[in-house]
Amino acid sequence: MYGFPCWKGPKFIQHLWQVIDNSGALLVECVNVLKNKVTNGWGSVGDEIVCVVKRARAVSAAQQASASAVKVRRGDVRRAVVVRTAKAVRRPDGRLVKFDDNAVVLLNNKREMLGTRIGGVVSADLRMKGWAKIASLAPKVMSHISPARCPY
Amino acid sequence: MFTGRLRALARSMSTAASTTAAAYPFSKNVIIRPATAIPQSIPLESLQKGKGLMPFLQTALPPPEKRQWMETLFSKRHPDRLLPGTVVTVITAHAPNTFSGVVLSIRRRGPDTSFVVRNIVQRTGVEMQFFANSPHLKEIKILKKSGGGGGRAGRRARRAKLFYLRHSPLKMTAIAGGVKG
Repeated sequence: MYGFPCWKGPKFIQHLWQVIDNSGALLVECVNVLKNKVTNGWGSVGDEIVCVVKRARAVSAAQQASASAVKVRRGDVRRAVVVRTAKAVRRPDGRLVKFDDNAVVLLNNKREMLGTRIGGVVSADLRMKGWAKIASLAPKVMSHISPARCPY
Repeated sequence: MFTGRLRALARSMSTAASTTAAAYPFSKNVIIRPATAIPQSIPLESLQKGKGLMPFLQTALPPPEKRQWMETLFSKRHPDRLLPGTVVTVITAHAPNTFSGVVLSIRRRGPDTSFVVRNIVQRTGVEMQFFANSPHLKEIKILKKSGGGGGRAGRRARRAKLFYLRHSPLKMTAIAGGVKG
């Protein structure tokens, strides 16, 4: 439950996150959580964060030449949305879901995905928080939504 | 934020089982089970005062079929009980409709009894903690009993909580090799 007084999400600032899309970044470090005016670094799945790219795939020569290809380099400050947390997330019926690692998907300033594909599981809380587009791209979604709202 | 979803869930539950919604004037979304199905070992007046209420609810709230297999699975001594290390498939009322994996731990707390099932989905470990008494939990199917199979892999887990499996994927595959999430 998101309003539970004793349930706090993980603290995100300065934590390293796996990037599971094909934007080129591999590892990012969270710098800020864009949830409320003051979050003190707390957040959960489906929250937008500001992050610094710590490790990225080498940008090939073709990509460097092209003007429209997305070039994500080490040191870039980007936005991202959290898709998986190692801290358990509570579902309305009391179930808890947690993953083995923390993962994000990079976004541009207009809240659209930078990459085109997602390689890995994502949490279904994404859809609940309004990131249905990203959830639909994922190969597998650990979902919880009632059949009335969810197509499957 | 999700109150609308809770209401939808309650509505779907009530349309399935309620017969006389007018009998309970304070809510439309209440489930009223037929009186014959409820074991009345304690007089109603005592229950209304709260005497013996929780043990009564433990027996009365789940449907009789579910109560039966739940009593076996989560008992402490029954030979067919759930052991940590069992490979199970949990079927829930809503998505993810099925989740398979290894039972890592069973937490016995009466109405709050829960168990954690772990599986590797798309190279990422996923753990789900299910609450046994939740009405959304439809069935627990045992795919492979703990201690099934021969040789080293066949010995039952000698721990009540198998959290060490989080850090040893080899042992995890030995127990749950090939079980899809």
